[in-house]
Order: sequence, then structure tokens, then C-alpha cells
Amino acid sequence: MNDTVTIQTGKFMTKRLFQQKTMVIDVFHPGKATVPETEIREKLTKIYKTTPDVIFVFGFRAHFGGSKTTGGMIYNSLDYKENEPKHRLARHNLYKKKKTSRKQEQNKERQGTAKANTGTGNSEKE
Amino acid sequence: MAAQEVLESDLPSALTLLKNLQEQVMAVTAQVQALTKKVQAGAYPTEKGLSFLEVKDQLLLMYLMDLSHLILHKASGGSLQGHAAALRLVEIRTVLEKIRPLDQKLKYQIDKLVKTAVTGSLSENDPLRFKPHPSNMMSKLSSEDEEEDEAEEGQSEASGKKSVKGASKKYVPPRLVPVHYDETEAEREKKRLERAKKRALSSSVIRELKEQYSDAPEEIRDARHPHVTRQSQEDQHRVNYEESMMVRLSVSKREKGRRKRASVMSSQLHSLTHFSDISALTGGTPHLDEDQNPIKKRKKILKKGRKKKGFRRRR
Repeated sequence: MNDTVTIQTGKFMTKRLFQQKTMVIDVFHPGKATVPETEIREKLTKIYKTTPDVIFVFGFRAHFGGSKTTGGMIYNSLDYKENEPKHRLARHNLYKKKKTSRKQEQNKERQGTAKANTGTGNSEKE
Repeated sequence: MAAQEVLESDLPSALTLLKNLQEQVMAVTAQVQALTKKVQAGAYPTEKGLSFLEVKDQLLLMYLMDLSHLILHKASGGSLQGHAAALRLVEIRTVLEKIRPLDQKLKYQIDKLVKTAVTGSLSENDPLRFKPHPSNMMSKLSSEDEEEDEAEEGQSEASGKKSVKGASKKYVPPRLVPVHYDETEAEREKKRLERAKKRALSSSVIRELKEQYSDAPEEIRDARHPHVTRQSQEDQHRVNYEESMMVRLSVSKREKGRRKRASVMSSQLHSLTHFSDISALTGGTPHLDEDQNPIKKRKKILKKGRKKKGFRRRR
């Protein structure tokens, strides 16, 4: 069994308004497990002759029986940040989610408003 | 003698009649010559055929002419045997008979046209009066979500109580008349029974019986279980949607169960020994196969806020 990874692309669409090109990617990997996204991005840069940091891949699902995976790809030109969802930017280390917990933030907010209110000085709600 | 007097009185009128005849014959020949010239010059093109009514007119006229010719012939003592005009008459008659069903079909249209031509407008109960009049509809730009359904008379009336607020765009909910929900237990039972009957009719037992007794040629198809084909169609639809919209849809537990059941069904030899329940047709109690699960009554609990806007197909 050969262990090569083949990539086929389909449903190619150029979206000028988003400065994107979207397509569906079929990856054939007989005898191997699911190919990691970084590898797929490298192969795609070779095919489309760009840099790997503008290529965003997502949604890879293996078909029944293995050896074929399908996913989508968005290939941007320069201004991509506003068009990509944040979790995909985070995969490229372009966006960092804040780590403070929600409860703590709400407490801070409540403290702020309670101090702003003049009056009887009721303590914060528990 | 009386005969001579009659002859004398008739003579001048006969002379005038003969002169008239001569003039008329000359006029007729002139007309016919002009007509033949026109036809030869191609002023009456018939590549596209003649209209149906024209054909009927011409045929009837030709029939009358041949008939009068034959009467004349017979009156002067000839025989009709094999006369060319008789054969023509027969031909025209057969054509007219064949045209008669077409005539029947056109009768309604022609009658209506004649009536409108005579009276000048459509009649009272003409169904054409019920066609939609878009000019009577209220525009969506000026008023807020008012949809005009066509009433019986074809005149759309604004359902009067709605207010038309152009600039402020206040949302006015549609006034629908609520109908009392009144389904008794008996009706529900009846509905269930009907559905069970339909399911039983399409089961494999009944289908094989039908094949046995029908005269149609036997078809051998690579057909899978209907649940399996339904599921595979759904899967295909889902895949197409996901690829074209570039999203991944989540699979609910119910969907997962269905898929699993469909794949299991196709891989086992389940259909060889388990037959579906046809008690709805035979009228007995629903019996169960030993290996099968008991029949559950499914209660429809609709989840709140079913999303997947574009994808959900209406069943």
C-alpha cells in the first residue's frame, strides 16, 4: 500500500467581496490516519503557490472506512482578519481569547455600579 | 288562345332575364379570372395551413355546390353512378365527420367569443373574472407586512382593521381567526389506524402477493429497504448542503439513531426473517416478533427553537 497523501479540490469559488477563494478539499490517505491540518496547508501552498499563513482549513471529516477526508478551505488575500471567525484565527495564533472567567467579570461590573450609586450603601448582591 | 297570351306576356320578361343572365355571366367570368390570376401570383399563401373555421366554411360551400350540380344532373335525366361529383361529396362528408370532435372542443371558446362580441363585456359568472389583480394589492413598501389574499370575487379588499403606517414601520401582527382544536380520542385512533394500513400495504408480504397475482411483467430491481434509501437520500442532501455552504452541521441524537439503524438494516439479513406487521389490514391485534422491540407510541415533543435555517426539509 502506498503511503502518499493525495489532495483533490472541488467547488472552487472566488469571492471578491471577501477577498477569498473557497473550495472543498478531498484528501486521500490510504493506510494512514487523518492527516494533520498543518500538512494539508503545506501541500496547498505548493499547489497554489502562496504562503501558508493565508490558508485557513477547517471541517475535516473522515469518511466511513477511512482513507478519505473531506474539508473546506479558505484562501485569503491580505485583509482577512475581519472575515475569519475568531476560533480559526486563534488556530493561527492571530487572536487570543481572554482567559478571565465570566463570573469574575460580572462581579467586577456589579462592584463598579454599586460604587457609582450614592445612597444607602447596600452591599453587593450575592 | 290562352297559351299564346301567356307566351306574349312572358316574352319581354324572358328577354330582360336573358340579358341579365348574359351580363351576370360576364361579370362572374371576370371575377373568376381575376381570382385565378391572384392565386397564381401567390396572394393567398397556404404554407401555414388554413384556419379551422375557414376550412369548415370552404368545405361546406363545396359540398353545396357539388350537391346542386348533382341535382341538376339528375333532373335532366342522368344517372349518379360513378359521377365525379358524387365521389367528391363522399370525400367532403368524411372530412366533415372527422372534424366534428375538434368542433366540440372549440365550441366553448367560440361561444364565449361570440357572446363577448355581442354583449361587449364578460358575463356574470365567467371564471376569468377571478384572476388576480396585482394593481389592487397594497404595496409592501408603504405598509407593513400586509399580504392580500384573493377573495372570491377577485377583488382584494384590505382587511380593514390593519393600520397603514408608512414611515414609523410599526409591526402589526396578522389577525388570524383562531380555530378550536377538537380532535377526539376516536379520531386519533382512526388516523393511527389509517396510517398503519398504509404502512401495511407497502410491506413486503403484501407486495409479493401483488406481484404474484398481477399480470405485469416481473421487475427485478436492485432495491434496498425503503428506510435505507430514505436515509441515503437525506445524507446526500446533507453532504451537498455542507459542501456548498462551507459549514458543518451538527447531527442530533435522533439523526444518529436513524443513521445507525439504516446502516445496520442494510448489513444484516434482517429482512429475511422479520416481516412487518400487517394486522391493520387483517384486523387482528398487533403482534410482535420475538426479537423485535415492543411497539412504542411516539409522542411528538417539539424542541424549542429548531435552528438550521436553510437545511431543514419539510416533511
